[in-house]
Amino acid sequence: MNTPEVEIRERVRQLLDDDRLPGVLGLRAEHGHVGPHVFNSADDLTALVLEPRYGMALVCQAILDGSPKGRLGVVARGCDERALIEMAKLGQVDLARLVLIGLACSEQQARECMCTRPYPRRIDVGEKVAGVAPGDDARVQQLLAQDVQARLAFWQSEFNRCIKCYGCRNVCPVCICDACVLEEMCWVERGKIPPELPFHLIRAYHIADKCILCGACESACPVDIPLTTLYALSQARLKELFDYEPGLDVTQKSPLTTTLEETPLHEL
Amino acid sequence: MSEQDFHPRIVAFCCNWCSYAGADLAGVSRLQMPTDFQVIRVMCSARVAPEWIIKTLSAGIDGVMVLGCHIGDCHYIAGNHRAAKRFALLKEMLGFVGIHPDRLRVDWVSASEGTKFQTIVTEFVERVRELGPTREFVTAHRRLDTD
Repeated sequence: MNTPEVEIRERVRQLLDDDRLPGVLGLRAEHGHVGPHVFNSADDLTALVLEPRYGMALVCQAILDGSPKGRLGVVARGCDERALIEMAKLGQVDLARLVLIGLACSEQQARECMCTRPYPRRIDVGEKVAGVAPGDDARVQQLLAQDVQARLAFWQSEFNRCIKCYGCRNVCPVCICDACVLEEMCWVERGKIPPELPFHLIRAYHIADKCILCGACESACPVDIPLTTLYALSQARLKELFDYEPGLDVTQKSPLTTTLEETPLHEL
Repeated sequence: MSEQDFHPRIVAFCCNWCSYAGADLAGVSRLQMPTDFQVIRVMCSARVAPEWIIKTLSAGIDGVMVLGCHIGDCHYIAGNHRAAKRFALLKEMLGFVGIHPDRLRVDWVSASEGTKFQTIVTEFVERVRELGPTREFVTAHRRLDTD
């Protein structure tokens, strides 16, 4: 059996040669480094790799914004696809211009990411494996077992390492505001680190109805704040309260923007 | 400090059309209630952004109330639907990071419900007294901050 990499390369070649797609976005290994690259039919596809995992949604957006028309292929994992769907809901990308090559992650990869859905809607390469539901996340469960004081102590010790680099916000595919409240002095004091609790809580709340738990924020964090633990909790509650999961369907509206008749609120 | 000596500082966001009028009615009817709260009039309960609550609580206010029109009676048709949903989610998140979710209360008071306003305020002040000051939370944070 072929490795996923070989299968993906074959699929990319098909899209470029048979479907006449101008380019396919993937990861390229060059001089021992890996980075996003738009492969065209003249490129050597053996340089296309799948590891390390890297979010493609923001790269897609930059490429689509830079060229007014034309289609683009993307090697997309489950998280990339969900991010693109959420971005499409927010008017950031045009899904009609994208051709996704669905790549399902392996069981080990899913475990490393604590991924909720390690597979895209349409799988071209790989086998579908089950993810971890946000509510079953061991880190969330462990905190919920403690009392309020202990949770506060835990989060304070984590948040006090924050150097306010804004990395979590910058890599987030669903953080899209031009004017960010986290840069406004009335919410976050300037020139002071670590920022107080509102910094993290406001961000967590702002993405609560669109976070797709890709984990980009946590891997970008230079001081390893367990941000996905906080976001996993909000996703678990979103599911329980509104029976809603972001990133699944472009036509589904966020429950926080609809009336109680449209999406009822289930009391916990 | 005993529970009785502690006078919590509470902020009540009241919507212009129902709850503020309800609070007004409670006042002119001379209904007795604790005076530990400040009313901030907003046009709709949906005007209250979650940031406000987060900032208020972390700035040392001991409890926040958001009062709006009854579901179905919103002056803007469905503003309070959004408020109900937002704050249900926010409460869970506050609890998870260690701010007791009972410090936030969302309820509906119509313009004719002066007594309901009195009951809600009395109950809430009582509950916040039990929970104690958030100062502990604020100073703990500031102290770690300056280390």
